[in-house]
Amino acid sequence: MKKIKHAIWLVLPMMVILTSCDPKVNRVEPSPSEVDGWAPVYAKDGTAEVINSVQPREIENGGKIYVKGNTLYQVEVGKGIHVIDITDRNNPTKVRFINVIGAQEMSIKNNNLYTNNVNDLVVVDITNINEVKLLDRVSGVFHLVDPTLPPSPGYFECVDAKQGVVVGWEQKLLHNPVCRKN
Amino acid sequence: MKYISYIVFAFAILVTASCSKQDNGNLATASPDSGGTGQGGSLARFTIADDYLYVVDDKKLYAYSLANPMSPKLTSTQNIGEDIETIYSFKDKLFIGSQNAMYIYSIANGASPDKLGEASHVRACDPVIANEDVAYVTVRSGTGCGGTINALYVFDITNILSPRQKTVINMEGPWGLGMSGSRLYVCNGSSGMNIYDISNKYYPKLVQQIYDATYYDVIVYNDVLICMVEGGTLLYEIKGDGQIVKMGRISS
Repeated sequence: MKKIKHAIWLVLPMMVILTSCDPKVNRVEPSPSEVDGWAPVYAKDGTAEVINSVQPREIENGGKIYVKGNTLYQVEVGKGIHVIDITDRNNPTKVRFINVIGAQEMSIKNNNLYTNNVNDLVVVDITNINEVKLLDRVSGVFHLVDPTLPPSPGYFECVDAKQGVVVGWEQKLLHNPVCRKN
Repeated sequence: MKYISYIVFAFAILVTASCSKQDNGNLATASPDSGGTGQGGSLARFTIADDYLYVVDDKKLYAYSLANPMSPKLTSTQNIGEDIETIYSFKDKLFIGSQNAMYIYSIANGASPDKLGEASHVRACDPVIANEDVAYVTVRSGTGCGGTINALYVFDITNILSPRQKTVINMEGPWGLGMSGSRLYVCNGSSGMNIYDISNKYYPKLVQQIYDATYYDVIVYNDVLICMVEGGTLLYEIKGDGQIVKMGRISS
């Protein structure tokens, strides 16, 4: 027992040293008290795969656009897809929001919407836009989202696995950040 | 090494996050309620051509058969290069943009595209659009993109195996682009949108600049320009004489 306790005092500092030697993450000291950077977006276990149609919401971080018929779609980066009726071009109207965690890309054929749910290709039936249905999911092929590092170099809020699975990154004003991507 | 590729890829995602690309090269016949596929912008990583969905991540091209559209089946995966950012389909070709080259693939065999040619360019972010004869590529430098050049590149691709650079037009910081008929629309970020006359396709002539927003990408959709702008989307009507008139805006 005593030996184990002693071993811990050997191993702990080694772990600290090893962590700080990780070439892609710099643990920086001193860090700026306030700086723009990245923070992980988490999903609780089981929630990351939920895909549904809900009331329209704010466009906060508008991403790629796609048009079919009189409907314009705009990705809300990492969160889902805004569905916008552009029949009246002078007065386009948001009609629904489709929750798709990790979304960045989309395409449509017939009534099938193809998008990325983090790193899964998903097929969503949009025949009834008020009640979309997940038809299929193809996992483990492409890599559109990195769960370990933010999209660009700089400071970021360190990943805390206790908060859930990382499904994307958002820009954030950071206070005394500890992690930095080179 | 794997982590390096993740970094590079995450990078590519960041810099392309706000651009897009046409999904269907056949603009002239695209019409509302045409069924089938819609149109994306010039920085998309997904595109549908015939019965296949093509996806690019940072290194690879994936082909999924949509023979059963409700259940895509992966038919091929192939390495393309480094820092892949965009994919654009026109007829039987795929145009793939990376941070240092444009790659052209044949989809005569849709399940497994074949490489035809490539054209290297300066290191930068680079959406591409094309038709039979010409490819327009924008390169934007800066954080995440590398390089120092900001420009519109024009390539003669009549010999698809060996694209030839024809013109370079310097710009402030170009993002996505779209074309229709004799007009080329190039989003120039906070410096507005440039509209070029491309009657002489290899030598675009600037005819109009608009400054209603910070422009990231554009879809030419019949007589409507759909612009992805800072904070949302902005619509313009394209008049018969080529002039464009601002219409609705979707924001917050």
